[in-house]
Amino acid sequence: MVGVLTAIAFALRFYKINQPDQVVFDEVHFGKFASFYITREYYFDVHPPFAKLLFGLAGWFVGFDGHFTFENIGDNYTDNHVPYVGMRALPAILGSLTIPVVYAIMKETGYSTVIAAFSACIILFDNAHIAQSRLILLDATLIFFMSLTIYSYIRFRKLRYWEFTVEWWSWLIATGFFMACTWGAKVNGILTVATIGIAVLVDLWDILDHKKGFTMEHFWKHFMARAVGLIVVPFIIYLSFFYVHFAVLTRSGTGDSFMSPAFQETLIGNELLMNSQELRYYDVVTMKHKDTKVYLHSHPDRYPLQYDDGRISSQGQQVTGYGHDDMNNHWQIIPTKALPEAGRGRVVRHDDVIQLLHVNTQTLLLTHDVASPLMPTNQEFTTWAKDDHSRHNDTLFYLNIIDADSEDPWKSKSSHFRLVHGPTRVSMWTHSKQLPEWAFKQQEINGNKNPTEKSATWFVDQVISTESSEGLSGEQVVKEPKKISFFRKFAELQLLMLQHNAGLTSSHPYASGPINWPFLISGISFWTDNDAQKQIYLIGNIVGWWTCVIALSIYVGIMGADLLARRRGIEPIPDAARGRLWNSAGFFLLIWAVHYLPFFLMNRQLFVHHYLPSHLASALLAGSVLSFVLSDTVNYPISIVGRWTKMRKSEYADLGMKGPVVVGVFTFILFLMFLYMTPLTYGTPGLDGETINGKRLLSSWTLHFAAKEIAEVS
Amino acid sequence: MAANVRARRPASPPPGLPHVVPSSHKYPPIRQDHLSADERREAASKGYGPGQRSHSPGGLNITSGEWKLLAVVLLIATGVRMFRLSKPDSVVFDEVHFGKFAARYIKTRYFVDVHPPLAKLLITAAAFVSGFNGDFDFKEIGKVFDNVPYVAMRMVPATFGVATVPIAYLTLRALDCRATTALLASIFLTFENGLVTQSRHILLDSPLVFFTALTIFLFVGFSNEDKKEPFSTEWWTWLILTGLSLGAVVSCKWVGLFTIATVGVCTILRLWLLLGDLRVSPRMWARHFFARALCLILIPILFYMTMFQLHFLILGSSGEGDAFMSSEFRQTLGRGMEDTYADVALGSDITIRHLNTQGGYLHSHAHNYPGGSAQQQITLYPHRDDNNLWRVLNATVDGYEQYDYEHKPIVYIDHGSRIKLRHIVTDKALHSHEVRPPVSDVDFQNEVSAYGLTGFVGDINDDWVVEIEKGDRSDKESSKRLRTLRTHFKLRHLNTGCYLFSHKVKLPEWGFDQQEVTCNKNAVKANSLWYVETATKHPQLSTDAPKVNYKIPGFLSKFWELQRVMWTTNAGLTDRHMYDSRPLTWPRLRRGINFWVKDHRQIYLIGNPFVWWSSTASIITYMIVRGFLLLRAKRGYRDFDNTKVVKYDSLCGFLFIGYCMHYFPFFLMGRQLFLHHYFPALYFAILLNCAVFDLATSTLRPKIRLQIAAVLMVIAVITYSKFSSLTYGDPWTKKKCTDAQWVKTWDFAW
Repeated sequence: MVGVLTAIAFALRFYKINQPDQVVFDEVHFGKFASFYITREYYFDVHPPFAKLLFGLAGWFVGFDGHFTFENIGDNYTDNHVPYVGMRALPAILGSLTIPVVYAIMKETGYSTVIAAFSACIILFDNAHIAQSRLILLDATLIFFMSLTIYSYIRFRKLRYWEFTVEWWSWLIATGFFMACTWGAKVNGILTVATIGIAVLVDLWDILDHKKGFTMEHFWKHFMARAVGLIVVPFIIYLSFFYVHFAVLTRSGTGDSFMSPAFQETLIGNELLMNSQELRYYDVVTMKHKDTKVYLHSHPDRYPLQYDDGRISSQGQQVTGYGHDDMNNHWQIIPTKALPEAGRGRVVRHDDVIQLLHVNTQTLLLTHDVASPLMPTNQEFTTWAKDDHSRHNDTLFYLNIIDADSEDPWKSKSSHFRLVHGPTRVSMWTHSKQLPEWAFKQQEINGNKNPTEKSATWFVDQVISTESSEGLSGEQVVKEPKKISFFRKFAELQLLMLQHNAGLTSSHPYASGPINWPFLISGISFWTDNDAQKQIYLIGNIVGWWTCVIALSIYVGIMGADLLARRRGIEPIPDAARGRLWNSAGFFLLIWAVHYLPFFLMNRQLFVHHYLPSHLASALLAGSVLSFVLSDTVNYPISIVGRWTKMRKSEYADLGMKGPVVVGVFTFILFLMFLYMTPLTYGTPGLDGETINGKRLLSSWTLHFAAKEIAEVS
Repeated sequence: MAANVRARRPASPPPGLPHVVPSSHKYPPIRQDHLSADERREAASKGYGPGQRSHSPGGLNITSGEWKLLAVVLLIATGVRMFRLSKPDSVVFDEVHFGKFAARYIKTRYFVDVHPPLAKLLITAAAFVSGFNGDFDFKEIGKVFDNVPYVAMRMVPATFGVATVPIAYLTLRALDCRATTALLASIFLTFENGLVTQSRHILLDSPLVFFTALTIFLFVGFSNEDKKEPFSTEWWTWLILTGLSLGAVVSCKWVGLFTIATVGVCTILRLWLLLGDLRVSPRMWARHFFARALCLILIPILFYMTMFQLHFLILGSSGEGDAFMSSEFRQTLGRGMEDTYADVALGSDITIRHLNTQGGYLHSHAHNYPGGSAQQQITLYPHRDDNNLWRVLNATVDGYEQYDYEHKPIVYIDHGSRIKLRHIVTDKALHSHEVRPPVSDVDFQNEVSAYGLTGFVGDINDDWVVEIEKGDRSDKESSKRLRTLRTHFKLRHLNTGCYLFSHKVKLPEWGFDQQEVTCNKNAVKANSLWYVETATKHPQLSTDAPKVNYKIPGFLSKFWELQRVMWTTNAGLTDRHMYDSRPLTWPRLRRGINFWVKDHRQIYLIGNPFVWWSSTASIITYMIVRGFLLLRAKRGYRDFDNTKVVKYDSLCGFLFIGYCMHYFPFFLMGRQLFLHHYFPALYFAILLNCAVFDLATSTLRPKIRLQIAAVLMVIAVITYSKFSSLTYGDPWTKKKCTDAQWVKTWDFAW
């Protein structure tokens, strides 16, 4: 049975895997990342590196040299000689192997062969799973390792009467290992970790129960074992993925600008590393705002006396943010302390008090308690004539270099700093709002009342002139990349991944809300070919998905009714079947819920393929519900019996003839449905408008090339 | 050996010995925990658990001496909350909004607010009675009141604030706490700077906290009654009052839903226990169920709707809130639109409105697009204007000289009619072509412009096909041909197949911030629907031709529409505010809110740190102790056989559920949140704090307990006075001010 299912799985997932020979959907990202591993250029992504490392490995194995950059959906592979089939084979293999794992899960949980085949078929003939695992995407890896985690945990659980044996330990550590792989494949894998976490807590809670008669020492032993197997081991493995990640990516690449300067300096060929130099007093520099990338700029024009809303300005010289290179961006660093004639004493350091001289107008940067043009809450920035000392105090700024210790020198490019005003403690800040015509629509610069405001970060972009012996950049030797500890790198990257994941909120035409997913309300258009009217549309097998939804609701209904009935002292379900429903099906429901419900709380853009792990869980649940509906009997015992286990009479699940018949008929319908939708899954052959209209089973599916209903023109 | 044996007591579980507990008291509290055999049998027959008393007193049970005490407390509370209520004599914080709304009510000018009307109506009533004419505009914080009975208006929240104090006392008494404890709670509440500040101004939180407290009190009374004898007259009274009070909470602010959730959870729990009691017949259980459903669901809903009915009755004329509402709704405000001709034919002059957004009429004016084709702009404009007028022309006739509609027979517009729309003022036609629109610069959108000139016929890109989407059921004709107001239709551009489309995207300054109109090839249906709002008289129609107008919506549809508008407005309040804060910072009182600053005086919302922090501490203590007890129970310790543990467990558990329900949902909210959103939760925290006090001092002599309570009260009063200048906006010395800044993040002193 397993062999047959696996063979079909491979056949369905490898069928025409070379079609289309173009970049499809998120291959844009993940293909690119794989090529970065080969060229060893640093990149940044919100997902952990394990699955992408595998792609990189696969690409390297089939001889991909990383020159192709996966720029746009629809770029041709054949023309660019990309061995894409090899790279796509990896998820296809993993996706195919998921089928026997699903089968094995059901068998190990104690369901009959027919039921196990039923669950496996729901995944086997599912268009969405197939479409997703034929392309260079992370989900196949995620799902494969997730199912392995579930499988190992079930094996571990079945050994509960043989605690602390070698086998017990092996399955425990296997669970931890696969869990780490799941998490390492995609951020969503954290949900698998949560699932196992909850299951383990429930398990431990049972061990704690004094009715079981265990001592506290025994409990702590269990507790520690799980802590080691399910926390320490996975964490080490997870770390090691990142270790490899950093070890492979040693060159500067597209991901540089996401990272801190200290991090960037560890990359070969990084711009900061190349061009960073210490700044000395009287150097002339240009400064850029980190987030909005504008230069600190000033020009002889003045603020108007009165703004549109009636507030009054100081009529001082305008200080603005300007996007382009210009003479008016040049500022000279003026000391406020006595300097030695030469030497290291002239280097500007963290926490120094400095003045900034606008070179073109010979005025000093100043801020004071006057409201800025656009924001009444923030202070206006202006400049003041160099020779007029009446406002000396207002021209003093603390140089506050981020993450620096005292005495650290100020460096161009790599030092991110805040400029905090001495008397009023505001930090120089800018935001993307433009000033009106009178300031040529340049960006407003004002003083933010929060001296540690995160977005008030600037850096020195260019050194225009310097008296230092190092001279200007250009004739510099290539510097060796610096080293920082792996844990610092890891912590920084992890934090950035979290932030960026939360920041993915822009809307996408194919993004959909979680509530739509189980019902398959909408899919995703992965790829289209206008000439041949071909397209790949990610959509599940509607028969399979709706069966799963029905199974879920039946399960919830049965359990609710059982709960109410028991409350009234009636016990409608035999104990053995009830135990199975609670424990194994309950575990499946837990997997489903934990992989699904958290998405409701997320504000980032979500896609239907985020539901695939949950769909797998619901297929498992559908199996157990079907088994219960067909028969009250269960296979018993399924756990490995211990020396002191009290045994009930062993029994076998007897589905009778209806079992195979029901499953056979269902699988047949499922298969027909699958066949019907194949053109959308494999992206071939092309279809005419009428056929596409026929395949549009729900009106909410937005298929391309659909025939339009043409209204009569009178 | 004997000593050895004595030392080896059984490790666990220790037997639960309830009778040991009273004997450890030197002065056992006078309780009726011990029942005779007969009483026990009787109690069992009524279905009480072993720990429960047979005769729960039901409802409220306090002595006359306490009423006198309560009167004193009430007096103190009044003094604290009403002290110099007339200062400051200028607008403070959100009085900007709520004062303004009161003025709107008095002027009966329609407005939209995110909060339900009850509290605002009460404030309005006070203002109205004291003769406010609604002329003051409450424009900005610090504006001096002029001819406004603001003291009377502030009196409303202040009264509610005062009333909260005795309610807290009674609640704790009803929960079977000692009088000392209840007194402590009422003093803590009286001297809570945050609650005082909030209740001294025209704000909604004070009524909200009051009604929350009232609901909880009534529900506790009901639960006591339920233990005594269900379905008695008192039982029904408490239950119905709880329902009414629930309705009042949710009619103050939507946060009141949390109170409903609290009561709901407790009710479900109670019903679940009842269901497990096999002595209660299913029929009886159903009675319990439906009585609660009726009083705790139906009554609040009716109450809530009544409030909105009042709201609509008062706000009869149009105002600044109009723009949020649909055209049908607006028809009920003020004069509304005059009747218009029902039939649209070739040659009619019409105005066309977008159905899904409140953007307004299809509009054009003599300004061109700065980019794209540089032709004349087409926008949506929300107001009535001559530039909204379009003439329907026949597109199948070539030549500028049109079909002579003045004399030839009338031709109606059917599904599939091919028409041109001529802008009357500028004499240009509605036009679209393969040019990207100015703002929504994407592939599937085309620009829409006005094109042509007098005498020029235009081209095929001026041709549109009418696709009737649906008519009105009351008017059969309207689904067959275009009828004013009743027919919803789409306009398909003949040449490119795109649909005339608009969405909530504003044009920049050059388009006067009006809404963008495009032609969309992937149009969402809802945003491509249009209808004709007015049609002038067609020359071929007689003057008594049928006329139509908007249907006046009934109460329910108005109610639902307003709920939806409130919801979307509320969800849209995501801008940051200078003084907003996240829920996590509330229990530790990280930062307050600056209410008002003028002439070196300041009103700053900050809690009483002693009360605040001690209540937070008691919440944490409760969680730790309860968790520990849970673990112990799992390991077979029989703590829960002890009646005292059971009593305090249910008491604290109830308050803790209330706290959680009023606090944790805020974590899910994305909108801007303020410290004062914590107040209902704070109320529960203070009660829980006192319950913990009750437990901690339960073994002490009453006199000592009273002394400890007195010390706590004095500390609370002292801390209160330390911050009272911020509460009342009194002058303060700089030293005192900086001294009071205990936590660095309290930003009242600059």
